[in-house]
Amino acid sequence: MSSAATGERMGVEWRLAAPLGLTYLAFFAAPLVILLVMSFSVDDNLGGFTIASWVKFWGDPFYRGVVWDTLRLGLVAVAVTTLFAYPIALLFVASSPGMQRLLLFIVLLPLLTSVVIRTFAWIVILSREGVLNQALLALGLTSVPLNLLQTELGLVIALTQIEMPLMLLPLITVMGQIDPSLSDASRALGSSRWRTFRKVIVPLSLPGWIAGATLVFASATTAFISQTVIGGARLVYLPTLIWQQAMVVYNWPFAAVASVTLLVAVLAGVSAFAMLGRFARTS
Amino acid sequence: MTELTRRAALKGAIALGAAASLPLPARASGSLSAAIYPGTWDEAYRAIVAPQLKAKHGIDVAFDTLWAVDQVTKVRAARGVPPFDCFVLDPGPAAAARQAGLFDTIDASKLSNASKLPAGLIAPDAVTVNLQVVGICYNPKKIPNPPKTWAQLFESPFVERLGLTGFQTTFGTVSLVEMAKAFGGSATDIEPIFKKLKEVLPKVAAVSTPAALPGLFQQGQIDIMYTNTNNAATLKARGVDIAFIAPESGAITFSTTLHIVKGSENKDAAHKYIDTVIAADAQSKLQLSPYNMIPVNKDVKLSDNLDVKSLDEVAKMVTHDWNVINPQRAAWIERFNKEITK
Repeated sequence: MSSAATGERMGVEWRLAAPLGLTYLAFFAAPLVILLVMSFSVDDNLGGFTIASWVKFWGDPFYRGVVWDTLRLGLVAVAVTTLFAYPIALLFVASSPGMQRLLLFIVLLPLLTSVVIRTFAWIVILSREGVLNQALLALGLTSVPLNLLQTELGLVIALTQIEMPLMLLPLITVMGQIDPSLSDASRALGSSRWRTFRKVIVPLSLPGWIAGATLVFASATTAFISQTVIGGARLVYLPTLIWQQAMVVYNWPFAAVASVTLLVAVLAGVSAFAMLGRFARTS
Repeated sequence: MTELTRRAALKGAIALGAAASLPLPARASGSLSAAIYPGTWDEAYRAIVAPQLKAKHGIDVAFDTLWAVDQVTKVRAARGVPPFDCFVLDPGPAAAARQAGLFDTIDASKLSNASKLPAGLIAPDAVTVNLQVVGICYNPKKIPNPPKTWAQLFESPFVERLGLTGFQTTFGTVSLVEMAKAFGGSATDIEPIFKKLKEVLPKVAAVSTPAALPGLFQQGQIDIMYTNTNNAATLKARGVDIAFIAPESGAITFSTTLHIVKGSENKDAAHKYIDTVIAADAQSKLQLSPYNMIPVNKDVKLSDNLDVKSLDEVAKMVTHDWNVINPQRAAWIERFNKEITK
């Protein structure tokens, strides 16, 4: 392609993208700059310059712990959704078109109800007198009701269900495009099912997994509603901390520090997944 | 690419400037926007206050459902362009809003029902419209002998069924202050309650966010909590087994106040709104189930569904000075975060 043609194409693209681009700039980039300035301000009027809020946040092991807990929650959600998503995706690929439509509907089902409803439904399931505990008691698997609400385990269970479609949709899209004869060839050449899965399916489905993992990670680390409702007050994650500092305590500079930290931390996680994809392709 | 960014930046700046200079759409006369708490308050004010305001004064009111702290933050963030005309606040957020200069003055001479309220309920920037009473709520089927003092909440078998909540809400804060007093502390020394909380933490049924408490109670995750009579009556109306008991040291009371937001362009309508809320007509209906709001109008006879019998009874209850509490609250919240979380 000649350079003139490239230039012309660039021009067209720029004009087409301008409305959305400018909207982003005015309503996304500008507030971000204000947020950054706020984190270095003395008070909520953007007055003065101080690094006190940053020092307080990063100098305190409690707040560093909150950052780590938030990131770990994202990673655990990615791991658990991955564990459950691959079998479903394999089933999907192997199913007939009619069955695939049904599976797709089931996968999409959680997205059709509001996240608030889904979260409260998990309270009904996980509480002391909830469905899960009643079942465990009836089966004699436990003599006292388990405490699942307000624990990280309960939160991970709920988040796994809530975030599952985000992992599954990209995964089944990519896996649906894998040529089935590749698996057949692998099997015909003597590989076990497990080896075929590991050496053929996983590498070829990696782009889908990376897209899914990115979505789940970003969504789980910022899932304010699920974190507060299922997690309760004993589990503090960055979104809760930001809400508390901004709305209840009115310490906007400190809330801004937590917000910028959350943003950078999530972006770091997301770019780590992207880099993993590049590494996987080149190796 | 740099050229694009620079041009985009310039255009973005122009767009921002243009957006800021756009005039706000003028509000129709005879209309008002008022903040209201979600849930019972929202339902009650839409069902009772809005139709009366329309019938008496021809004013349309639009409600913005927000918790007290959210209202204050929204007005602060709006920087002088009020997102609504009236606040409804508890004492804690009200004191913070007053300190931030977010209130306009209220002219009592414009309120035809002003004389119907007991003395002291109308301040230059606030009108008390309802009273809230906070105490202990429990499930009478599972806890036949309820705790009678704040201190007993931390003893077996109550503590194992207790749902705790921190300093984020007014009712949570005042309850914890009273518990601190029960263990020898005061509103300026809450050390004893933190000590006690840490001690019982492994045993309590839940440490929850305030909004999740009623749900946890309904689902049987907890059987004892501290909350206001209003919440208790609402749960009871939905068929939940719940009873209210005032601790021996006295139930806590605080007032819910309406305020006019500084910079409001509908001050006349706002006065009429406040006047409608405190009128006997509205107050006598707001106290009925499922709203259960304790009235302040002297002409209104208290109904049986409320957990208080008379306004004199309320006058003897425990009150708190929020000018003392507010400066310490941020530190308490931070401490609760650090010591109570895992």
